[in-house]
Amino acid sequence: MSNPVNLTIDGKAVQAAPGTLLIDAAKQSGILIPAFCYYEGYSLQAACRMCLVEVEKFPKLQAACTLPVAEGMVVRTEAASAVQARKTTLEFLLTNHPLDCPVCDKGGECELQDMVFRYGAGESRFTEVKHHVDEKQWSPVVYYDAPRCILCYRCVRVCDEGMGVTALGITHRGAYSEITPNKGDHLNCDQCGACIDICPVGALTSGIYRYQTRPWEMEHVGTICTHCSDGCKTTLGVRNNEIVRGNNRDSTGINGEFLCIKGRYAFDFIKHEDRLQSPMVRRNGKLEEVSWAEAVKAVAARFAEIKAAGGAIGVAGSVHSTNEESYFLQKFARQGLGTPHIDHARSGDVPALIHALAGKTDALATADSLYHAKAVLVVDADLSQQHPFLAFQVRANVRHHQAAVYTVTRGPVREEQTAAKAVHTADYLAGVRGLGEDLKKHADLVIVFGDGIKGAAVGELVAFGDSLGIPVRYVCLVDYSNSRGAMDMGLLPELGPGYHPAAVRGMSLPQMAASQDLAALWVVGADPLAGGKRLASGKAFVVVQDLFLTDTAKQADVVLPSASAYEKSGTVTNVTGQIQRLKKGLNIMGAKPDLEIFGLIARAMGVDAGRAQNEAVFEEIRKSVRGYNVPLPVLATGGAAQAQPVNGRVDVLPDPELVRSAGDTLFTSGSLGRYSKILGSVMEAPGALYKG
Amino acid sequence: MAINQVFKSASAIVQGLGITFKEMMKPTVTEDYPDVPPVFQERFRGKHELQRDENGMEKCVACFLCAAACPADCIYIEAAENTDKVRISGGERYASVYNIDYTRCIFCGYCVEACPTDAITHGHGFELAAYDTAALIMRKEDMLVAVPPGARPPVIAEAAASHGH
Ligand code: SF4
Ligand code: SF4
Ligand code: SF4
Ligand code: SF4
Ligand code: SF4
Ligand code: FES
Repeated sequence: MSNPVNLTIDGKAVQAAPGTLLIDAAKQSGILIPAFCYYEGYSLQAACRMCLVEVEKFPKLQAACTLPVAEGMVVRTEAASAVQARKTTLEFLLTNHPLDCPVCDKGGECELQDMVFRYGAGESRFTEVKHHVDEKQWSPVVYYDAPRCILCYRCVRVCDEGMGVTALGITHRGAYSEITPNKGDHLNCDQCGACIDICPVGALTSGIYRYQTRPWEMEHVGTICTHCSDGCKTTLGVRNNEIVRGNNRDSTGINGEFLCIKGRYAFDFIKHEDRLQSPMVRRNGKLEEVSWAEAVKAVAARFAEIKAAGGAIGVAGSVHSTNEESYFLQKFARQGLGTPHIDHARSGDVPALIHALAGKTDALATADSLYHAKAVLVVDADLSQQHPFLAFQVRANVRHHQAAVYTVTRGPVREEQTAAKAVHTADYLAGVRGLGEDLKKHADLVIVFGDGIKGAAVGELVAFGDSLGIPVRYVCLVDYSNSRGAMDMGLLPELGPGYHPAAVRGMSLPQMAASQDLAALWVVGADPLAGGKRLASGKAFVVVQDLFLTDTAKQADVVLPSASAYEKSGTVTNVTGQIQRLKKGLNIMGAKPDLEIFGLIARAMGVDAGRAQNEAVFEEIRKSVRGYNVPLPVLATGGAAQAQPVNGRVDVLPDPELVRSAGDTLFTSGSLGRYSKILGSVMEAPGALYKG
Repeated sequence: MAINQVFKSASAIVQGLGITFKEMMKPTVTEDYPDVPPVFQERFRGKHELQRDENGMEKCVACFLCAAACPADCIYIEAAENTDKVRISGGERYASVYNIDYTRCIFCGYCVEACPTDAITHGHGFELAAYDTAALIMRKEDMLVAVPPGARPPVIAEAAASHGH
């Protein structure tokens, strides 16, 4: 700290950096000054007057949220005059407040309730009739109850500054002031729910959680969002084996409080009426429900037969399964079934990036780097739509550190609003090269690239990065919650775990589909035959493990209902290679986690593929997958540990032609999204990529 | 046996019978339960009653405060939102399920104290014996008082209709 300022708060000697706000300086030394409108990370509002404190030599009380510390300042946060002022402020706030705490969703975690409890302004001297306005529904997600609003502007600021959407504003004046949505009577926005989460009172409530329960009635399970690859931590509120809400209550994850609509609300797919809850076996051309024992026996017997006859077995892994599951699957397939034909739906060319970065250290960015880098270059991605959390990090970086943002995309994106330069082209490398002179000026750079950069282009991009002469770090974007983990664990025909070349090169998914003599296809949480495609091999025995009856499952001989990420434990790896732990939130009757299913099949076949149990498999991963030897306590305490850079050449590079992102928007999420009613109900806003 | 011992015994019997005869003349204090219903002090805490307001709407707004206050953790509630069609309580929310487990309730009255709407009270019901413990888990319908005479909760009829009863 350069020349810290010395001051006294409540008789305690405090040191703070020059320019620190009094409210922050107090907080750092453990003194909490009450505040409604002040919110760390967003612009100052000074609208509520809750933070008034007595400062010696000032004739009047001062707002601690806007007053910078000064040398020799003597502050009394709980002076009688300050306490009286807060009490009066509360009394004013309550003049039109309905005080319907018993039915208010915020009751029990309401900052206004807490303050009234603390300062005891329960009695009001106002006897006039309270001004009442009816509650409004702005979208399937957001409801607004004006009388409860204390006009702190937190929602307005988080939507504008945090989300870059600016969908909320204030209309009318004085006691009649109200928050108003961008379309007058409804919202056309990201539907992220950040405004609801940040609202200190029950003025903004969510259509999903409204009137369902109360905060103390739920169990709070901190796990990882199962939609995009950003890996946000979401705390599920679980009651009676049902998820009633998602938020990030304790702000501990890599995402702080951020969640997009998918992490916050799109957990409803797990209770969709089409969810599979019983294994099925095809008999006389029809899928019939059978017991688990019977279905597992059928699979094991047929697999054993095919293996004995030397038939080709294809295995398609999942981009939502845990690392443990993907690792166990490829091990079981390679060693137990003796097949090299393993693949998954690839959405980013990570192996090419790892190869291009061989010999470099500290070249893989984390989510945190996007917040700290002096410059960020986004190539071929509509970040706000495809990777909402990464986009949020970039916006925060611009806001707090004035980072320079550059975009090279095929159409308008939201990042352009604050970008130093935006280039529209489909020749991404040429676009990037044109920015060389600008990028050189910055102290460091993070390059985020989508599936438009793959194969040799990745090497060229890294060579371009090297030519800048500044530290450059990279993020290769992938689609889903464990797309990255699927690759790291070796669900590739060319590469085994940790990007070691596979002993025998197997068939890729399209090759399996086109193969005339494929004897079996085992599909785990994937849909390679989407759109009614058919296998070239008519005789193949198809086994599908999934949550729903996908197009592939409709053609299967055996269908096994699997558990979603919210129903199991394990680890997943996000787009920036950060490993985090899933925590099981609930059970869905009939469904089993993929790992358990693998274990059952292995045992029925008499194959020893190791213990199908999370901790045991993860131990093996730590020992045998390059980069995964991460500290366990970090994971156990809900933290994120980045997989160490592999830092070596990848001797066999997979075919870049197979790398294709699904191009999900904010409101789609592959097959999971199709079964989320809430995502289906909010489709109005942007709706497609590259609409700005 | 000495003669004075005989007198002593006789006088003790007379003394005892004296009390008996004196008490026979006084009004009875014991109750003739079960032939005559027992009388309770107002404050007696018996089986709970869920109250209705003067319009016949349920007073409970499913705030879960009683459940939070209950030291025996025996109150189970599920909340639902009142709509224009189905309006059960006076507030925005009502209890679609409200159970009290009388195998656990200790009749402490904390729930009654916690209730912000005076929806739950202790009635005087005390005949809470059963052959089957499951019968001691009372549902809302078992505790809800009747609609007061004269009150016409209009939408309840509609609610019932919309549920197809
Ligand atoms: S906003 Fe807070 S104080 Fe107001 S009714 Fe809701 S819980 Fe009570
Ligand atoms: S839901 Fe998100 S985008 Fe919509 S108004 Fe609220 S903060 Fe803004
Ligand atoms: S709606 Fe909530 S966050 Fe927005 S101004 Fe009102 S009280 Fe503040
Ligand atoms: S940004 Fe991605 S990981 Fe985060 S909440 Fe949204 S979908 Fe989930
Ligand atoms: S009985 Fe009273 S305390 Fe209990 S949920 Fe209903 S309103 Fe709340
Ligand atoms: S917190 Fe300082 S005025 Fe609101």
